[in-house]
Amino acid sequence: MAPEVFNLAQTPITCHSFSADHKQVAVSLNSTDAQIFTRQGASWTLTETLAEHDKLITSIDWAPNSNRIVTASQDRNAYVWQQTPDPETGKLIWKPTLVLLRINRAATHVRWSPKEDKFAVASGARAIAICSFDPENNWWVSKLLKKPIRSTVLSVDWHPNNVLLAAGSADMKARVFSAYIKEVDDKPAATVWGSKLPFNTICGEYASPAGGWVHAVGFSPSGDALAFASHDSSISIVYPGGPTIYNIRISSLPFVTLTWTAEDTIVAAGHDCQPVVFSGSEAGWQGVGSLDDSTSGKAAGGARSGFGGASSVGRLNSAAFSTFRDADTRGQSGAGATTDTKVLTVHQNTITSVRPYEYRGGRVTKVSTSGVDGNLVIWDADDVSAGAGLAKQMGGMRM
Amino acid sequence: MDNAFRKIDIDAYDEDVLQEEELFDADPRDPAQVLDDAKQRQGAVRSALARSDVVGALNTVLENAPYGPNVEEAKAVTLQTLLTILNTTKSTEIPAVIKALSQDGQDTLMKYLYKGMAMPGWGDISGSVLLGWHEKLTEVAGTGCIVRTMTDRRTV
Amino acid sequence: MSNVLRPYLAAVRSTLTAALTLENFSSQVVERHNKPEVEAAGSKEVLLNPLTISRNENERVLIEPSVNSIRLSIKIKQADEIERILCHKFTRFMMQRAESFIVLRRKPVPGYDISFLITNTHSETMLKHKIVDFIIQFMEEVDREISEMKLSLNARARIVAESYLTAFNS
Repeated sequence: MAPEVFNLAQTPITCHSFSADHKQVAVSLNSTDAQIFTRQGASWTLTETLAEHDKLITSIDWAPNSNRIVTASQDRNAYVWQQTPDPETGKLIWKPTLVLLRINRAATHVRWSPKEDKFAVASGARAIAICSFDPENNWWVSKLLKKPIRSTVLSVDWHPNNVLLAAGSADMKARVFSAYIKEVDDKPAATVWGSKLPFNTICGEYASPAGGWVHAVGFSPSGDALAFASHDSSISIVYPGGPTIYNIRISSLPFVTLTWTAEDTIVAAGHDCQPVVFSGSEAGWQGVGSLDDSTSGKAAGGARSGFGGASSVGRLNSAAFSTFRDADTRGQSGAGATTDTKVLTVHQNTITSVRPYEYRGGRVTKVSTSGVDGNLVIWDADDVSAGAGLAKQMGGMRM
Repeated sequence: MDNAFRKIDIDAYDEDVLQEEELFDADPRDPAQVLDDAKQRQGAVRSALARSDVVGALNTVLENAPYGPNVEEAKAVTLQTLLTILNTTKSTEIPAVIKALSQDGQDTLMKYLYKGMAMPGWGDISGSVLLGWHEKLTEVAGTGCIVRTMTDRRTV
Repeated sequence: MSNVLRPYLAAVRSTLTAALTLENFSSQVVERHNKPEVEAAGSKEVLLNPLTISRNENERVLIEPSVNSIRLSIKIKQADEIERILCHKFTRFMMQRAESFIVLRRKPVPGYDISFLITNTHSETMLKHKIVDFIIQFMEEVDREISEMKLSLNARARIVAESYLTAFNS
């Protein structure tokens, strides 16, 4: 099935999050407002604007069960938005609650925990704020995970047991922390990551051999494996027992986001403008192919198109040049040159986030991506087209 | 008026500040031993080249290449050895040779190509030879290989 | 000429493509600021290894990547004194009008003739491969531009000299 493509704006979509029924989506269009679009047939229309932040919104997460939205921004704040009836008109409006984050740099990423009773905010203050609701005072309070983070935290992801938290940061490490909060959590059962888990226990610290900022982290659905994508154009999958780390280096540009679609598959996307599927198990991992089959047909000889393709490397006759040359020597204008301004992939620029969209039988069957090109795309997660030579390039390496 | 104090980088005195050496795991080997290794490999490479075994020679050089601080001399020796291989390989053989290398080998080779290009005029560096290798290596290993050269703090 | 230059420009193109993997990154040194890290250099971990691409000592490109910005500096070929003067005038002319070129830096990095600063905002608002095309095209044209200027300068000098000397001929 062809992916569904929606163009929401001409500006970048920095993040997106769907409501539980998929009828609404909250996005940040590279601005200080979070905007809620509602689906009407084949298009999306803007229905609400959540305006409270005064700097770029970096991350949004919509809790499916409790129907609350949390937004994080570079203005160091996070807000929890809840639908409440307006006392005068009785209409449902989104009401913001400020969260006391106690961080002094930008908030970069936010995620609700699986039980939706707390959320984690990654920040540039070398800390992660774990926020939980304090019913006595009717506000969200935070506890900071600080040691041993040495740089901006770029992403976080919760373990299904609601206690463990993975974080990837610009100091080239992916870490697993315990975010156990006495007042909220029951005592967690032992996992493969450890058994005694007081707050701020470090259960693991991993890095890719060639370094690079860790852009994205993700626990597998069972929580027994961790995947992270780093800026050295590689994706690593960690099984904590050994620990066994599979590091898959790819031949194109780095990934910035990833999501598990099943215990044995991962979808990752980033600067290469197309979602790539990896599959494997504790015995080994490898790249399978791309969800974007519009590229594989046109890519020549194992090289991939998009920005990084080797096929374009030697191309010196740029379109702008030939446009003007045509106009000058032949009096041609426009027509011929427009083809080169389009990239061969569905997304025309970096993909900023990929998220699970639809579940069926314990597997994610559809994923959604949003990109710098202002497009929101819903992909069929099983519709993998193996790019020629792609799998060969990406054989797993065991360490 | 003395205003030199304005130029002091106070952030460098922050106790949490990340130091250059914390960004990567240091080479566990002793600098003197690394230098010995590099010199020994020079001989091995020469004999491999005499048998016209370019892949073997490249593998010898690229495996366990010296990295990090304090081993400048060993790095120079390794670069010199590598250059003799690069300069003697025929341009038609390059793609096959590169394809025979491991991913690690390709990444390390890319690092050396950039190192060579950063010091034009040193030893017998020839810009056109390095650029030729760079082009072929990019065709095989992709832009990912270049990204890894940028991110990897284990500089050669 | 193009055939000699091709591997050089291809290397610049692929390196630049690899470096243009930028994202929005708020400063971790100064509160509520967002600045090009390659210029601010406030935190070491967000800077990557700078890479040089060179044909010879006189023609090289330095690419300094970081998390949200890259700086690209070009050393233009200058064979003699005239080319050196022409190159200086030419780059100065453009750098004085840097804002019209959007990605041009007002001052070159020491040791180079002209520098570009590309930030994540540029890579968001413009097509990335077009930025790369622009830089490559600039490098292609600048050599030709300078050698053409040199030719016309010489031709002009010859005409001036001839018409001056004809005065003594009669």
